[in-house]
Amino acid sequence: MSDIVTIESLRKSFGQHEILKGIDLTVRRGEVVVVIGGSGSGKSTCLRCINRLEEPTSGKITVAGTDVTDRKVDLNRVRQNIGMVFQGINLYPHMSALDNVALALRKVKKLGRREAQERGRMHLAQVGLAERVNHYPGQLSGGQQQRVGIARALALEPQVMLFDEPTSGLDPELVGEVQNVMVKTRDAGMTMVIVTHEMQFAREVGDRIVFMDQGVILDSGTPDEILVRPRHKRIQDFLSRLN
Amino acid sequence: MDQILYYFFNWPLISPYLPEILQGFLVTLEMAVLTVVAGTVLGLLLAVVRAYGIRPLNWLLVVYVDIFRALPQLVIIVLAFFALPAFGIVIDPMPATVLALSLVLSAFAEEIFWAGIAAVPRGQWEAGRSSGLTFTQTLFWIVLPQTVRISIPPLTNRALGITKGTTLGSIIAVPELLNVSSNIQSNIANPTALTAGAVLFCLVFFPFVYLTRALERRYAPKR
Repeated sequence: MSDIVTIESLRKSFGQHEILKGIDLTVRRGEVVVVIGGSGSGKSTCLRCINRLEEPTSGKITVAGTDVTDRKVDLNRVRQNIGMVFQGINLYPHMSALDNVALALRKVKKLGRREAQERGRMHLAQVGLAERVNHYPGQLSGGQQQRVGIARALALEPQVMLFDEPTSGLDPELVGEVQNVMVKTRDAGMTMVIVTHEMQFAREVGDRIVFMDQGVILDSGTPDEILVRPRHKRIQDFLSRLN
Repeated sequence: MDQILYYFFNWPLISPYLPEILQGFLVTLEMAVLTVVAGTVLGLLLAVVRAYGIRPLNWLLVVYVDIFRALPQLVIIVLAFFALPAFGIVIDPMPATVLALSLVLSAFAEEIFWAGIAAVPRGQWEAGRSSGLTFTQTLFWIVLPQTVRISIPPLTNRALGITKGTTLGSIIAVPELLNVSSNIQSNIANPTALTAGAVLFCLVFFPFVYLTRALERRYAPKR
């Protein structure tokens, strides 16, 4: 398998405060990497550097062969290749579910109205929302909203999907439906990087678990290696605190 | 009671003047519409320019906004009418008043729209930009539609307040409703003319209030 995301010595500071202290991470095509760690460990910041929602202070990030950190790179083009799903969901409240999905198809992919809507419907159907295409975000449950969020990102047919704590803002009974969609997305062969606090889900969906602590990657390995038989005392403590 | 009727509701006395009052009504209506449209559009334009964050341009913008919010409307009207000719720009009293009021409204509207833009959550920008939309596309398709919804109530208030300033045009002899009414009042020595004027003012502004309320409902977030 080829590498699709490579992160080399990534550093990020907010003012005096260094959040990321040299991250090296490679994601292979079709791989699902789950990033876990305590709050403030830098996992979200790291994820957001990949599509440059955060500006890296130094280091190099390559996505599908393109140097994302290059000053001259066409960011809007790069971002079409990187789908993102947010903790805050961030659906456009003034648009129907279908228009949420179709907007970038029309404006970025330059599809015609009919074609964009057709593709939007298809992607909404894939997340189980064929009956909700004309609903506005305010008329949908949190779980349904996040599924629209996933459909919106998938519709651009990106090469990698980034999930930034996609279920953290949801009521517990709505978490499952979103996770099911994510599992389906993995099974379709999508490359995914997921930041989450749901350890059970991490184990279930992840090919590889990355544990971040205080701005560095403390350890990474299979779900078994990290979550079942962790070598590091720090990870053991972290996991036992969750249970 | 008879006194009140005689002085304020003396219809026989002012009925010959009704066409004249109606003329004033039309002038006020025209000025109000022009001011609201020009002021709002210009204000939105300025807020959009400000969103791009071009430093020197934004400094100029802030100066513009502060000046037109600080100066009394009357002063600006007088300046537009008496000072512009010194620069070779001669305009009639009516357009001078509309120009002055539009500038004032645009300054307030800019601040209202700007606050609206700032009130749209950062996540909306991030969602747009992360899907490959440009800054401009995100601004126009995602942020501004939400901004306009947020801005309509405060904007309505401000627009009403400022369009009432059309009466200040009487100072440079704009034949608007208040000017006409008070002239008639002097001629017939009876304030019923003002009553008629007041009724017509309500006729200008009530539909405006209802229109904006309908807009508020129309653009309220869908639930």
